[in-house]
Amino acid sequence: MGTQAEFDQMIKSGELIESRNEMTPDYLKELKHTLIVSGDTELISAPAYYLAAKRAPSINAFMTGIAIIQDELAHAHIAYHILEELGEDQEKLIFSRDPKSFRYPYAFDVPLDSWTELVVANGMYDQAGFCLLGDIHDKCSYGPWKRGLNKVMAEENFHLRNGRTWMKRISAAGGSAKDELQRAVDWMFPLSVEWFGLPDSMKMHSTQLEYRLKGLTNDQLRQWWLSTVVPYCEQIGIKVPAHKEVRDGKDVWELDYPFPCEFDAAEKRWDFKQPISWDDVLIRWRARGPRNAEMVAMFQEEFHRFRKTHHQNGS
Amino acid sequence: MTQRLWDALTEVQDPEMPVNLVDLGVIYGITEQNGVVDVELTFTAMGCPASEFILEDVRERLLRETGVNEVRVTVVWDPPWTVARMTEAGRDALESWGLAV
Repeated sequence: MGTQAEFDQMIKSGELIESRNEMTPDYLKELKHTLIVSGDTELISAPAYYLAAKRAPSINAFMTGIAIIQDELAHAHIAYHILEELGEDQEKLIFSRDPKSFRYPYAFDVPLDSWTELVVANGMYDQAGFCLLGDIHDKCSYGPWKRGLNKVMAEENFHLRNGRTWMKRISAAGGSAKDELQRAVDWMFPLSVEWFGLPDSMKMHSTQLEYRLKGLTNDQLRQWWLSTVVPYCEQIGIKVPAHKEVRDGKDVWELDYPFPCEFDAAEKRWDFKQPISWDDVLIRWRARGPRNAEMVAMFQEEFHRFRKTHHQNGS
Repeated sequence: MTQRLWDALTEVQDPEMPVNLVDLGVIYGITEQNGVVDVELTFTAMGCPASEFILEDVRERLLRETGVNEVRVTVVWDPPWTVARMTEAGRDALESWGLAV
């Protein structure tokens, strides 16, 4: 490993880092942190989606839901596998961590209770994942991860397709089906907007950007997401609290509500009359939401029970 | 006319992999009579999670061809699909994506 200055130059010039002995300790720390967020997000989407996929309206739809879950688990595996190569213990990361210490977007902690909510998650949460991972795939300075994301992008496209196709279908059905879809969008849209984190105006410095672990800022990613989701929802006749403005010849997406604002997770309801501070949001995120413990238990409990009984049988 | 329909289906991508349906080798036959198109196709797996999307895409693409008024798709499982049914171009596409076939 060369000097810090040589390393910084390497990152800046667009070279890829291929192994641990090329990294500075600080780069390794940031890379691991970024991978854990990615792995945890993909992993937790599996129980979150499964609890809703069980309510699929047909065998075919169920099969698609399950295939998406399988994809998500494989994506999680990519991140955890790289973490293992970087010296972490994959088994401990997945099975021995406290539920509250998992690092995934708060949105997944709010229960998806129907097929409608699942397909909105495919249309909105997977779009958020697509933007975040697409950016990493495009810009990431760590070669093994950048290449590992090749297949992930194609698969995320499939999830989006499921979300969009079903949202369109449900909206076209009209009546109470469309009302249910609108209600799902009403609480899931602002949660997805929040997904991208603090606005750039409050986040002056990003080590992830400096190390090219990502290429776009939080606000740029949020704008990208809005530029795909808002027109699609409008096209299928679903209302979203955001609109487009043209500023200096460029499209800018503006939210029609104070951001951030108060959210009641139990009622799945936003109070647009109640702006809050980002400190309040961070407190809610750290406390985790209603389904955090249940979802983590879904993959941790059986693992430990199985271990225990098999140990007893063997001794 | 049927050649034009085959060409049209080379524009339909598999929803999960970057390869079109013709190069993937899942289109078994296309016939046309008086604007009614019959397509025989199969899936790479019986539990194909993308089957509904593929059927939709095939119908939608063929209906965009002039002279096509109706599209009837029949799913067949005999003969079964194997990787040997892929074209050279399809194989290359998947290999460059990272899947050896």
